[in-house]
Amino acid sequence: MKKPLELIESHGVSRRDFLKYSAVMAALFGISEFEFTTKIAQAMEKASQKPPVIWLEGQDCAGCTISFTQILNPPATTIILDKISLRYHETAMAAAGHLAEKAYHDTVKEGGYVLVVEGSIPSADDRFCMVGGRPFKAIVEEAAQKAGAIIAVGACATFGGIPAATPSKGIGLGKALPGKALINLPTCPVHPDHLAGTVLYFLTTGKVPPLDKIGRPLIYFSESIHDNCRRRAHFDANRFLEDWNDPNQREWCLAKKGCKGPLANSDCPIRRWNDGINFCIDCGAPCMGCSEPEFYLDMSPLYTAESEISKRIFAMKEAGLFNRENS
Amino acid sequence: MAKKITIDPVTRIEGHLKIEVEIEGGKVKNAWSSGTMARGFEALLVDKDPRDAPYVTSRFCGVCYSVHQIASARALDAAFGAKVPWGGTLLRNLVMGAQYIYDHPLHFYQLSALDYIDIMAVANYKGKDKDLLAIKDKIVHLVKSKDTYPLTPRYKPDQFSVKDPDIVITAVKHYIDAMKMHALARNMGAIWGGRTPHYQNIVVGGVTSYPDINQVARFRTMLDEQAKFINEVYIPDVLTFGTGPLWELAKMGLGGGHYNYLSYGAFEKDPEGKSFVFPAGVIMGLNPANIKVDPFDHKKITESVKYAWYKENQPVHPYRGEQVFDLNKKEAYSFVKAPRYDGKPMEVGPLARMLVAKNPSILGLVAKGAKPGAVARHAARAIETKLVVDACYQWCDQLLTEMTKPGFKIHDTAHWEPPTEGMGAGFYDAPRGALGHWIEIKDKKIKNYQAVVPSTWNASPRDDKGVRGQYEESLNGVPVPDPENPINVVRVIRSFDPCLACAIHLIDPKTNKIRKFLME
Repeated sequence: MKKPLELIESHGVSRRDFLKYSAVMAALFGISEFEFTTKIAQAMEKASQKPPVIWLEGQDCAGCTISFTQILNPPATTIILDKISLRYHETAMAAAGHLAEKAYHDTVKEGGYVLVVEGSIPSADDRFCMVGGRPFKAIVEEAAQKAGAIIAVGACATFGGIPAATPSKGIGLGKALPGKALINLPTCPVHPDHLAGTVLYFLTTGKVPPLDKIGRPLIYFSESIHDNCRRRAHFDANRFLEDWNDPNQREWCLAKKGCKGPLANSDCPIRRWNDGINFCIDCGAPCMGCSEPEFYLDMSPLYTAESEISKRIFAMKEAGLFNRENS
Repeated sequence: MAKKITIDPVTRIEGHLKIEVEIEGGKVKNAWSSGTMARGFEALLVDKDPRDAPYVTSRFCGVCYSVHQIASARALDAAFGAKVPWGGTLLRNLVMGAQYIYDHPLHFYQLSALDYIDIMAVANYKGKDKDLLAIKDKIVHLVKSKDTYPLTPRYKPDQFSVKDPDIVITAVKHYIDAMKMHALARNMGAIWGGRTPHYQNIVVGGVTSYPDINQVARFRTMLDEQAKFINEVYIPDVLTFGTGPLWELAKMGLGGGHYNYLSYGAFEKDPEGKSFVFPAGVIMGLNPANIKVDPFDHKKITESVKYAWYKENQPVHPYRGEQVFDLNKKEAYSFVKAPRYDGKPMEVGPLARMLVAKNPSILGLVAKGAKPGAVARHAARAIETKLVVDACYQWCDQLLTEMTKPGFKIHDTAHWEPPTEGMGAGFYDAPRGALGHWIEIKDKKIKNYQAVVPSTWNASPRDDKGVRGQYEESLNGVPVPDPENPINVVRVIRSFDPCLACAIHLIDPKTNKIRKFLME
């Protein structure tokens, strides 16, 4: 067997470039450079076998799929064609009907794939979501059994999201697959960086990234929107936007328009969306707390400070809990 | 003996769709279209603050995102008595324009093209173009490593599939380019929309995004890049395919259907909303030589539930009926209801809009012998994308003028609080067609909420008279020489750009609560 670095060179990557890259990546993942290099080499040895991915859509809107295709570097087509082997994805695949079903069953038989789930699972009655003549619930349970990793993307697949409040009683994977280890990437839709980064982490280290107690990667979900919001000074100074027409209020705090940023954890204000062009708060719209299990029902009414969450935010403000020395 | 085949799931669409067809003598004799997923968003909205509705209903669909947001906001505008300032309308038009500019090319390249090309013909490319050779290498590499997912498995290419290596490899390059272009188009919308999918800035009374001059400049610059792609790549590709290899399919009018068309209109051209870039109108039984367009009247809409999983009822205006969910109904086969206009099934979407507008480009194609059907739908989509691009430039100019006026407004703040009681309808022609939202407010809360969406029109099952929906009718007579390879069936269905997630209604099945909704 070739030594790791020789193997990497045989794939057309210069030794010098690779060492530079692995120093950074190893530091990022908190493992030694040697361990990192070995892992990459092992991964490359399996080279032609791109990691198989099954992407299931349940009670979804395909918004997370569209969000995923927002990645420009590397382009989504490169990820789909060169980096992974996308065996089943209803919105992307060439096959339909029995051919699509066959691709799915072949991969499930093989095992060891990354399972991505978008959309919730109806808990009121299986017939609320049927694919290929079978309940979506049965498909998820089956696919989860032999998956190497399970990633729930978006508010619906993680914690139920909006469908949780409907008569179909949509539930997230945590409830649908009790006891199964999974990675939760909430927000409505999933942030493309959160998904790409999580997949990359898993493929490079073979491990699940460090998660918080509700399964979200700490690297993306450890700080509140509020802590990194550039309107925070206005919150502290009680300057709340009342009129969207007033250019003087343009940057003021949106808490009275129902912003849930103080009790929502996500790196949206730093990472932003659409290549850093914008994010909810910067277009004058309140954060709806879509990264949290309480989304949507407990966040409603969305555009006033009358939701339970908003009342809690103002009570906490009153108690001084958001003062910088306390937060 | 007729042979019945089932395609489930129909992929490369939004939502979950099952199509069953009966084939006799190599042709489709009968077809059934079934929506197989339901969430019940309308029921969840009951008793909520009406202002939640645009945000929640946007999540009907993440592909044609925010079309429900705007239809919902328009229904609320009417119910609240809000008058959106011209600045707010222009910003709504701009973000929705960006949505169209992303959505239509996505449908052509990502969701449809694989039905019309034999992608493996790329291997026979003999040219010297560096970019195209890189594509060839990529595909050949996939084949050699025995892993061509998700490009395979696929239905076998047939006599209509394009096999010319030069055309196919160019199309594959454009498939990859388009992926980047529509990500960039979505970024353009995010300048004011906040992010995509699902904009954040559209609310009752206008928008939340107070614009600045740099944003307009940025939007324009990004628009230039989109215009170039649409004029130099997308439209020529559609024309090359439609009038070249697919001309036979165009002439036979594959997937024609009932030839009834409906458009609600979209994109205000003036502050009063007197005229639209896409006009509203109705065409019954198209006569291409003499197109007669009648005005649209929403009172003529009825919905039948005979073959849908809802308690039996007479066809009524959707907002005058009693509707209860019934999962065990024997004759039912879909979650989609059967809306009818003046009792007739209608086609909605780009082809309907361009015919109602009597667009010269689409009429030119028809005059040359293209019958309205699958191929014409692709052409109509490309034609109207250009109309939207041109309109976006005008809206940028108009917004700049408006912004510099004293007292510039984007929102009707006086009508932000919900009324004690109110009713409103919001109509908007989304990329996939005519979309209507209706709201009834009581005690400042939503009393009832209904949406009749584009794919409900197109994907509907049979109505109370047994008349087929538009998908079902358009499949009638479609050639399927090999039942194992029903490629023409998916060509026809995908030409409508199905968006099933939003096509599903339901009323609370737990409580079996009967809701009444009256609309004047």
